[in-house]
Amino acid sequence: MSFYAELAAATHFSFLRGASSPVDMVLTALLLGLDGLGIADRNSVAGVVRAHAALKELREAGAPPMQKRRDGSGSGEFIHISPDAPPLPPEALAARAQRFRLAVGARLVFEDATPEVVAHPTSRAGWGRLCQLLTIGKMRAKKGACRLTFDDLQPDVRDLLLIVLPDRDMTALPVVLPRLKEMAPDSVWLGATMPRRGDDRRRLAHLQKMARAAGVPLLATNDALYADPGQRDLQDVMTCIREGARLTQAGRRLNVNAERHMKSTAEMLRLFEDAPEAVAETRNFLDRIDFSLDQLIYEYPDEPVPPGWRPQTWLVELVGRCARMRYPGGVPAKVERALSDELALIGKLDYARYFLTIHDIVRAAEDRGILCQGRGSAANSAVCYVLGVTAVDPAENELLFARFLSEERQEPPDIDVDFEHERREEIIQHIYDKYGRDRAGLVATIISYRPRSAIRDVGKVFGLSEDVTAALASSQWGSWGHDIPDRRVRETGFDPRNPTIARAISFATRLLGFPRHLSQHVGGFVLSRGRLDEICPIGNAAMDKRSFIEWDKDDIDALGLMKVDILALGMLTCIRKAFDLLRAYEGKDIGLADVPQDDAATYQMLQRGDSIGVFQVESRAQMNMLPRLKPREFYDLVIQVAIVRPGPIQGNMVHPYLRRRNGAERVSFPAPASEHGPADELHRVLDRTLGVPLFQEQAMQLAMVAAKFSDKEANQLRRAMATFRNVGTIHKFEALMVGRMMARGYDEAFARNCFEQIRGFGSYGFPESHAASFAKLVYISSWLKCHHPAVFACALLNAQPMGFYAPAQIVRDAREHRVEVRAPDANFSDWDNSLARNAAGALTLQLGFRQIDGLNEQEMRRFVVLRCAGYESLEAMATRGGLSRAILRRLADADAFRSLDFDRRQALWDVRRLPDSAPLPLFAVARARELAAEPSAHLPDMSLGEHVASDYQTLRLSLKTHPMALLRGHLPGVSTCVSLAAQRDGAWARVAGLVLVRQRPGKGNAIFVTLEDETGVANLVLWARLFERFRRETMAARLMLAEGRIQKSPEGVIHLMTQRVSDRSDLLDHLWRDDVGTISAPPDRARHPRNARLLPKSRDFH
Amino acid sequence: MRENCDMRAPGRRYLGLWLPFLSAENRIRQSGPSASDRPHVFVERVRGAMRLCAVDRAAHELGLAVGLSLADARARLPDLVAAPADPASDARRMLRLAEWCERFTPLVALDPPDGLMLDVAGCAHLFGDEEGLRAAVTQGLRRLGFTIRASIAATPDAARALARHGRQGKPISALPVIALEAGEDIRLALIRAGLKTIGDLAARPTQSLTARFGAGTTTKLVRILGREDRRITPLRPLPDCMVERHFPEPFVDMTALEAVVASFMDEAGRLLRQRGQGGRLFEILFFRADGVVRRLNLESSTPLREAAPLIRLFRLKCEKLADPLDPGFGFDALRLSVLRTELFVEEEPRFDGDVRVGKHIDELIDRLVARLGRERVLRFVARDTHDPDRVSVSVAALDPVVSAAWPEREKVSAPARPLRLFEPPQSIEAIALAPDGPPAKFLWRRVWRIVSRAEGPERIAPEWWRTGPDAPTRDYYRLEDSEGRRFWVFREGLYDRETPAPRWRLHGLFV
Repeated sequence: MSFYAELAAATHFSFLRGASSPVDMVLTALLLGLDGLGIADRNSVAGVVRAHAALKELREAGAPPMQKRRDGSGSGEFIHISPDAPPLPPEALAARAQRFRLAVGARLVFEDATPEVVAHPTSRAGWGRLCQLLTIGKMRAKKGACRLTFDDLQPDVRDLLLIVLPDRDMTALPVVLPRLKEMAPDSVWLGATMPRRGDDRRRLAHLQKMARAAGVPLLATNDALYADPGQRDLQDVMTCIREGARLTQAGRRLNVNAERHMKSTAEMLRLFEDAPEAVAETRNFLDRIDFSLDQLIYEYPDEPVPPGWRPQTWLVELVGRCARMRYPGGVPAKVERALSDELALIGKLDYARYFLTIHDIVRAAEDRGILCQGRGSAANSAVCYVLGVTAVDPAENELLFARFLSEERQEPPDIDVDFEHERREEIIQHIYDKYGRDRAGLVATIISYRPRSAIRDVGKVFGLSEDVTAALASSQWGSWGHDIPDRRVRETGFDPRNPTIARAISFATRLLGFPRHLSQHVGGFVLSRGRLDEICPIGNAAMDKRSFIEWDKDDIDALGLMKVDILALGMLTCIRKAFDLLRAYEGKDIGLADVPQDDAATYQMLQRGDSIGVFQVESRAQMNMLPRLKPREFYDLVIQVAIVRPGPIQGNMVHPYLRRRNGAERVSFPAPASEHGPADELHRVLDRTLGVPLFQEQAMQLAMVAAKFSDKEANQLRRAMATFRNVGTIHKFEALMVGRMMARGYDEAFARNCFEQIRGFGSYGFPESHAASFAKLVYISSWLKCHHPAVFACALLNAQPMGFYAPAQIVRDAREHRVEVRAPDANFSDWDNSLARNAAGALTLQLGFRQIDGLNEQEMRRFVVLRCAGYESLEAMATRGGLSRAILRRLADADAFRSLDFDRRQALWDVRRLPDSAPLPLFAVARARELAAEPSAHLPDMSLGEHVASDYQTLRLSLKTHPMALLRGHLPGVSTCVSLAAQRDGAWARVAGLVLVRQRPGKGNAIFVTLEDETGVANLVLWARLFERFRRETMAARLMLAEGRIQKSPEGVIHLMTQRVSDRSDLLDHLWRDDVGTISAPPDRARHPRNARLLPKSRDFH
Repeated sequence: MRENCDMRAPGRRYLGLWLPFLSAENRIRQSGPSASDRPHVFVERVRGAMRLCAVDRAAHELGLAVGLSLADARARLPDLVAAPADPASDARRMLRLAEWCERFTPLVALDPPDGLMLDVAGCAHLFGDEEGLRAAVTQGLRRLGFTIRASIAATPDAARALARHGRQGKPISALPVIALEAGEDIRLALIRAGLKTIGDLAARPTQSLTARFGAGTTTKLVRILGREDRRITPLRPLPDCMVERHFPEPFVDMTALEAVVASFMDEAGRLLRQRGQGGRLFEILFFRADGVVRRLNLESSTPLREAAPLIRLFRLKCEKLADPLDPGFGFDALRLSVLRTELFVEEEPRFDGDVRVGKHIDELIDRLVARLGRERVLRFVARDTHDPDRVSVSVAALDPVVSAAWPEREKVSAPARPLRLFEPPQSIEAIALAPDGPPAKFLWRRVWRIVSRAEGPERIAPEWWRTGPDAPTRDYYRLEDSEGRRFWVFREGLYDRETPAPRWRLHGLFV
């Protein structure tokens, strides 16, 4: 019986070399009837898990898994594509897959003259050795590279089978073969290919002779780069991308023919007619291999468990101790019960070490005074609360834990921990230090080709000019789908039928989803009990002091490895800074869990939509929702966070919920026909949300309870839910779910809406478990803003950049809340913004040097330390304070010398006269006198407009006045933003203001613009059709004049339904113009618009 | 740029020209007006982002400015037409326009970016007055299709400032400080100091300005104000090396001409030697007394500086002239210019006194080209391709085409390909084993040849990007027939995978 296995198959994880996915390689090998496959990518095992998982799926289902492809930049924005149905019935394919053997290894490519070697481990130990070898190579190279020499192979090659693959030049073989043979007797093969180069048979005979001389067997292979010869052209294009060459100039760097594809056993026997033993040898090779990725047993580290304890008993003990500290007055019965239930479940599923590890990391943060909070399914548990992982008190809130960590579901628990964004790196380094780089690694993210990158790279290969590819790559509103539609091409002004462009697009389309390189995940850590580098190779990241493994989140899931997400959250930085300020200025020492609960004033503030700077609910959509939802208690905030999301919106759930909440509609629960089940079967699912599903979990539960999805189906749906979009599979689920719900007597509209919602969650899923943790931060930040506005504003400014608003709006909001704000001053400011008490005893906000553009933090901090009682003159700042003239100029430009009684213009005049370098102290005084001899300059007084314009240029805000206050005279008949509220619904109005934000959310039917004038902000809505007419004005205006009708909601939310837009940025020139007109010439090369920009850039969509 | 500063010479006048839409209008002149009236911009990559570096009038009027990112521009005007900037083409255009301007004055200088500066002292009266001159220049350039802004002033700096930043009828004192071109930092500082126009600055003591805004600013200021002059450097590109002689009496003796030329060449050779250079392109100008100018160009394949080979080329060229050099009333001047020079690599003489073999070939090429013409002397260069049909190509011997590496000969075996190929390959009939066995026998020129030895296939796939996806793959075989003759044949199309009945062709013979 003939036998053949392809043992040197590359996948597209041999970046820009292999032209087929691991799944395709496995599937093709099966369809060709091969007996096995050996995956070996260049110095990498990045693709093996996918091959392994694909084979598993083929064994179980007789069909290859769906292909997952990134579709957007947000988390969870993926689509799943089902491959074309294979030409074999599933049963036959599954039967073949059962017999099929998969070897996983790597192709070692050396820096020295050693020929390339494919290494396949025979055992778990061999796998560990291969991973360590690759880790060595990767750790000594920069990100993405691997530097190996023959000597690295030498120390230990036990349990590795090596296939030497000579290239055209075989001179090294007579030296290398015996050496390898000596190192690994009986584990070395000489690989032979029949590449159709004319001299194949002569070459084969030569190889045979050398193999015989060295005493190693010959092994037949195709050295496959792709599954099917049809991939040759794509492989050529990839070669060009790799070489940075045009197709027409790549010449002999391309392969001469399409022979490096997988071939059937019969074909191999025919090709190797002269050496049939080389084909047969693949069986001997595979027979030696007793390793599968299933053997990778993974365990969490032991560190958090003290000696003498077992993990579970230690967790029970720890939870007991912490609970007594959390509840000094005694643990409430409800919590007690929850704790024991949860602990029992954790024990049963053996997750104690996982919780202990999280606790350990959280403790490390606490020791450093870094705020953190957990979220995710497992985080909303009583255990996590008492361990200090979250601040959501189970005594006062409904517990969600048991619903998510279910016994049936064999998925690892999921906890993401957010840390202060400025200090997360400390935690990451702590983890590396504590567990060591050989036991801790970040997860990889596979950077794949997406439409932009694909067309850019392919365009270069076809010699398209950069402008053409840039135009093709630029899409107006975010990402393209999973395809490049003709319409898009036409939009960019090209004919999709132009042959070169059509060809480039067709190749770019084929390239979509191919991995380009690996990168580190934002914060997902894998920690292991044993050595991690024996599980997977670890390599350097581009960032200093970071290292990451070769597998991504999906691979980790497929192998049952667990990860902890160490994420960064700006709001935590802000809150910690606010807590620090409270301690310093108010004598209050509080933590995340100590903020007073259920504070009425805080909720009243939110009900007014007064939420600038507050976590999560500060966006415009959220601000509009606040007066409608009128949050009164913590759970309302959980809903508030989750409701303004595509899921509920697309599922038409928002309005029903609001109506019920406001008592305009009766709360009822959809029910099945009486013969199908109890009428209240959905009560438990939808009780919290008044019978309307709002959260991702509820949608899932609906599928299980109302549509009777089995666990397996629900699992598939869950996996798909986080991923699918516009793909075939969705219809399958839609038919299934809607059909079953209707069959059980549910209303069709309700069923469809439920499914629409699932579809919506598919894009931006937001589960209750995350919402609850976020809501906690919403509440805390709101409480700070409500009761300590100066502290909050100061902390928020010091935590920038973060959040939705620029410093100008934060400062403005603080002033509207009666916080006195003082401009930066060389004698009063610190680097950070700071607080001080004014004469009346109120806290005032002193803006810091960090608000001034272009200052150096270190230099300014030193300047502050040396300030003592204050600087008496500019010269003192230069000499004693050590400021360079360039910095003094910036301070002068920012009008920061008022304490020296200099206004901006005088300060600038004097500072510019100081010598460039700091003079020797001895001569400083003399020099100062010498300089003083100049007669007074009599500069014209600086007008308010000039001051405001300069303030915006240097600080990006002005405390003096708002530009619109000065320009109003040029805009007759224009209402102020605030006065819109006083006008009736439907009235025609004109407003003008600085453009703060331009947004085009969702499907892009409407464009939202926020304008700011001296009284407040106005929210414009512009329908897409009108937008196209006023596109140029809308996108270009820094100062915009808009006209339209006022639309008022019953809750007092006001929009201007805009009918006409004009760009009045020209008026900004008037701020400077009190005497002469600046002469505006046609395009000025000397004057870059970035420099000429008066106002800080608005937040825009592109 | 050479600069001569002196105090203002009375009566100096300069015409500053600025072409604000040069790139766009140059494009139109080259490829005709665009069919659409969509705004056009030109882009270049600046630190990773595509930014506008020139715009046309339509784009300018819609508010697009140089420096804006292409993404921003497209967000405003999706139907924008963006083309990569072509600074080389723009520069060539400016040169041509400068030459065109030489009709007004011989002293024309480039005034980058996109500007020209004409020294027009004493020219204005030919056009009535200065306004007449200005009108003549602008109208002429407008007729050529260029938007033009022009100003006449007493110094180049003033003319430049007025052309680029001035407004019709406004004096120099009204110019904004951006006219100082001192950089954005200084411009902002001046404006913040309340000094917004040249007039504001003119009234202040120079010292106090210099201390604050640098000497560059004040120098520019006094030049714009016309208190200090600066000479322009006229364009006329001086050849790298030039020898010229004017004869007091027109020179008619044609027999002595060659000696004169030889002496020129000696002189030029001496100049070239001093610079370590040699000449590749020489031009001899014969100025006839009646104003006719004859030009003779001599080109060589290697840098030259010896008179002998040049004279040889000169002689050959003269023989070939359809219209012989006719001294007529005599030449009153001769000029030899070396238009293109190159580094001259000194040859180490070999011990046996011989020089590089190639040198003889180079001289031969020069002579052949001079006799037969540039396009008729060819050489082979290699192309980097697997396709045997395309692997070599012939080009003009003097063309600077760099050959790709010739395919390396396998060390152990006989040549894999014949030296010469049939073009096109000849049809044969063959009997061979499917799918990819070599022919057992084949029919060529009506004779069946029995194959006794064969090697192959060497499978060469088509260059699909040139031939399209359906071109056949070729399986090449080296064959030896029973009489010891060797052939190179191929099967056109893979059996089954590409075609059910592949055809056979003979592509060459091994001799």
